[in-house]
Order: sequence, then structure tokens, then C-alpha cells
Amino acid sequence: MKKEKEYLQDEFYDDEDMMDEADYPDEEADDYSMQTPVIVMEHVSKEYEGATDSQALNDVSFRVRKGEFVFIVGPSGSGKSTMIRLMMKEVSPTEGRIYVAGKDLAGLKKRQVCKYRRNIGIVFQDFRLLQERNVYENVAFAQQVIGASARRIPKEVSKVLNLVGLSNKFRSKPTELSGGEQQRVALARALVNNPMILLADEPTGNLDPQNSWEIMELLEEINKRGTTVVVVTHNQEIVNKMQKRVISVHNGVIVEDKRGGYTHE
Amino acid sequence: MNNISSFAYCFHQGIKNIGRNKLFSIASVATMTACLFLFGVMYFLLVNVRFMLLEAETNVGITAFFDEGVTQEQINELKTKIESYDEVKSVTYKSAEDTWEEYKESHLTEELASTFGDDNPLEDSASFTIFFKSVDSQQEMAQKIAELKGIRKVNDTEDLVKTLTRMNHILSIGSIAIIGLLLCIATFLISTTVTMGVSVRRKEISIMHLIGATDIFVRAPFLVEGVVIGLLGACIPLSILYALYYKIIELIASKFSSLFNTLNFVKTSQVFGVLAPVSICIGVGIGFLGSYFTLNKQLRKIRQM
Repeated sequence: MKKEKEYLQDEFYDDEDMMDEADYPDEEADDYSMQTPVIVMEHVSKEYEGATDSQALNDVSFRVRKGEFVFIVGPSGSGKSTMIRLMMKEVSPTEGRIYVAGKDLAGLKKRQVCKYRRNIGIVFQDFRLLQERNVYENVAFAQQVIGASARRIPKEVSKVLNLVGLSNKFRSKPTELSGGEQQRVALARALVNNPMILLADEPTGNLDPQNSWEIMELLEEINKRGTTVVVVTHNQEIVNKMQKRVISVHNGVIVEDKRGGYTHE
Repeated sequence: MNNISSFAYCFHQGIKNIGRNKLFSIASVATMTACLFLFGVMYFLLVNVRFMLLEAETNVGITAFFDEGVTQEQINELKTKIESYDEVKSVTYKSAEDTWEEYKESHLTEELASTFGDDNPLEDSASFTIFFKSVDSQQEMAQKIAELKGIRKVNDTEDLVKTLTRMNHILSIGSIAIIGLLLCIATFLISTTVTMGVSVRRKEISIMHLIGATDIFVRAPFLVEGVVIGLLGACIPLSILYALYYKIIELIASKFSSLFNTLNFVKTSQVFGVLAPVSICIGVGIGFLGSYFTLNKQLRKIRQM
């Protein structure tokens, strides 16, 4: 698995628009500042054309270190999901720069975006599973999309289904699964291509407390295995319990960035 | 998309797309079939009319009648002279008696013919039927022969050739217009089928984009769908036309039988040697291009969502 991740990262690092360590924005030294940042947002603003409240983000700067677990919290409409969309290169910032794994996303050509996204796993609140396909097919789909060999797909899929605890339900259709199980399938799909970053947009939004907690434990386990995890949520209870780094966003501005609980209302 | 498994996946998905949009797929195949069937019929018509025209050009000669009182010796001399022209293929002499016998057989009852006794009302109808190597020289040669001493009148087939040429021209324009219209309808239907396919798979496509699918990987199943519809839409009418070739030709021939005494048709292998690859190229081409341009529009919409 480690070898595979190195391969994907090498492929991603292959281009010229790399950011040197010296180019990173200055930041006060702390206990994890020596680690390589994998996500850097530099004075990022995002304005949506034609929207009533068009300013989604306003001069946002932060960095996420390799192997870090970060919560992005805030009320609805605060700009949390816009951050995810920016990191996925679904939208581009109106101002500022975003670097992921040292790569300036503004420099990515259209055809490079797909390769870039193979290094990022993503899960959503509504799971976004293909209803007509079973668990195995939903996860294998991510491998087929990147052109994995027919021999490799079953190995990788069974490995990741084992990780999320669904190896006994690989034949089930999403409609036969609980919300928590569906989110596990979505997680398995996000992880099967061994991404270096996992983005989760309100992953517990549709789940009961028990399932929410199980998903968060799983995300923590994935993080422990070396994947950088960024979770967008407004679930205060979980954030407080996990005691991770929390970036609080309000009206498109970062109002707090600290380790611990969800203190900003 | 860089390996066999991706190709197999895209091909499989393309075939599945057809199944998912059964109704539109059937409508597209049916329209393409109708379009290429008509194209085939038009092609048969054109090829055979042209073939008949060529036959007419070379097999329908001019008729030269002699002056009154011309002797057999003079007729023989005229025959030798006309045969000596390079443009002339053959000269056949028909005596006045032969002409009268032929006329009686084809136009008169035995009873009516007997009323004429030994009289020959067509005694000045001895003639030469002259065939040329090329129809191009017919008019000029007809004039030249008409000027020969001993020749009273020359009937050429220019009018017939002109009629056939005009008919050929009208047929060509008419077929191009009809086929063009049908191809537009087929393209529209394929485009609608692909649009339906994209809207059914909107969620899948957006997930594909998010997990790093290349553009060609997203497009390939829809292009396969369009190409397969086009291919089916070409193969079905070709099979029907192959089986019905002579029946269709007989039907066409019956419409023009008054123009020809004998009808010869182009051989099946000759017709299908051209029609099959052209129909397949049209079907596959329209399927591919219809899907390609529709995809551009639809995928742009999905990206903007």
C-alpha cells in the first residue's frame, strides 16, 4: 500500500509548478511546523458570480501538514464546502493561491486535474453511491476509472472493504445498507486508490450518533495509517470529543484555528 | 484510458447504455435503418439507371433511311463507307420487306394484315441501324451520315438520351435531399439518445470526474453507444437490401420498362461492394459525430453544476 501511495505521489509531483519549501508562507513555529504541508491556502477569496451573497470566502489562509487530521467547522453558508470544492479544483479562487502537495492548483491544466484528483479521496454527506451497483462494484468503480488492471482491482477492493468492515456485504446494493454502512462504502471508494488526502464533506450529516461516531473512528484509523484527513462538519459533539485541530469559519473568514474543541459559536 | 481493462470497461458500459435507454436506442436504430435503407434503394436506382443509360447510349443506335429509288449496289457502297468511320461500331441493314414483316407482327392482326395482300406500305422504309462506340459522337455522326448522298433522313436517339440524363439528374438531387433530411433526423435522434444517457448517468459522471477519470474515459461509453447504434443502423438495412435486391430492382425496372426493350442490372457484388462500406461509414460516422458533439454540450453542463 505504501509503495502504491509513493507511486501516485511521484506521478503527481512530476510537473514543474512545484512549490519549494522556501516558498511556503511564513508561519510561527509550533510542534508540527517541521512537517511538510500538503495543503496550503494563501489569502484565498472566492466570489460566486450571480449569487446574492456572493462572497463565499474572504482572505482565507491556512496550511495542513502531512498526516494531520483537521476539522473545518462553521454554520451553514459559512464557506466550509467552498473550501472542499477549491481543494478538489472544482472551482477556482477569485484571489489567492492554493497549493496541494506542493503543487499550485492554478497552474494545473484541464487534463492534469484528473491526475491530481486521484491523490484525493472524497466523501459526501449524501454518500453519492451508484444505486444500481453493489458494494463491490461501487468501490471497484473508482479503480476502473483510473484504469487499474483487472487483476489488481479485486485485491485492492477486498483490502479496503476489510478496512471499513464491509467485506461480508460486498454483494449488497446500497438500498440494502444502513446510512452508516453506505458511508463506509463511500469511504472505501475514496480510499481504494490510496489517496494522500481524504476530504470529507459533512460525512456524518445523515447519520445517527452511533454511526457518526463509528465513521469518525474509521477516519481516525485511516489518518493513523498516514492519510491526511480534512473533515468539514458542524457536529460540535464529535469535534469536541475528537480533540483535533479545528479551523472555525464564519461568513467566509477564519475566526479561529486551534487544537481542541469547537468553541466559536 | 491506457489499458485493455479500461477499453473493455468503456465498451461494456457503452453496450449497457444502449440497454438502459432501450426506447431511444431502438428509435435511433430504426431511423438510421430507415435512412440507410432509403439510401440503399436510391443507390440501386441511381446505379441501375446509370447502367441502363450507358446501355442505351451504346445499344440504341441511329436509323438512316434511303432516298427513293436507291439501288442495292448503292446501299452496299453506303454501308461500306459508314463502316469505315472510326466512331462506328456496327451497321445493320434492314430491308423494306423485313420492316413491313416486323410491323405486321407487332402491330397488326393476321386478318388486317391479309387485307394488304402483297402490297408493302413501308416500301421506302429500308434502313441502316448504326451503333457507335461512344454516344458522345452520335449527334455529330448523325449529321455527317445525313449529308451522305443516298440518305434521305436520319433518326437519332438524342431525345431519349437527354430524357434519361435529365431523369438521372433529378433522381440524384432528389435522393441527396431525402437522404440529407433523413440523416439529420438520425443525427438528432442519436443526439437525444446520448443526452438521455448522460442525464441518466449524471451522478455517475460527476463521481467519475471527482475521482479522477480522464475526459476520454467519461466520453468513451457514449461514443461506443453512438457507434454501435450507427453500426446496427447500417447492418440491418444492408441485410434487408441484400435479400431484396432483385425484388427492388424489378420494381424499379417496371417503372422504366417502357424506355428499354431489355433490362440489364448491375451485379449484386458490384452494388454491395460500394454500398456496404459507404453505408457503414455513414452509420458509424453519424453515430460517432452525433455522440461527440452532444457530449461536449452535456458534459459542459455537468461541470458547471
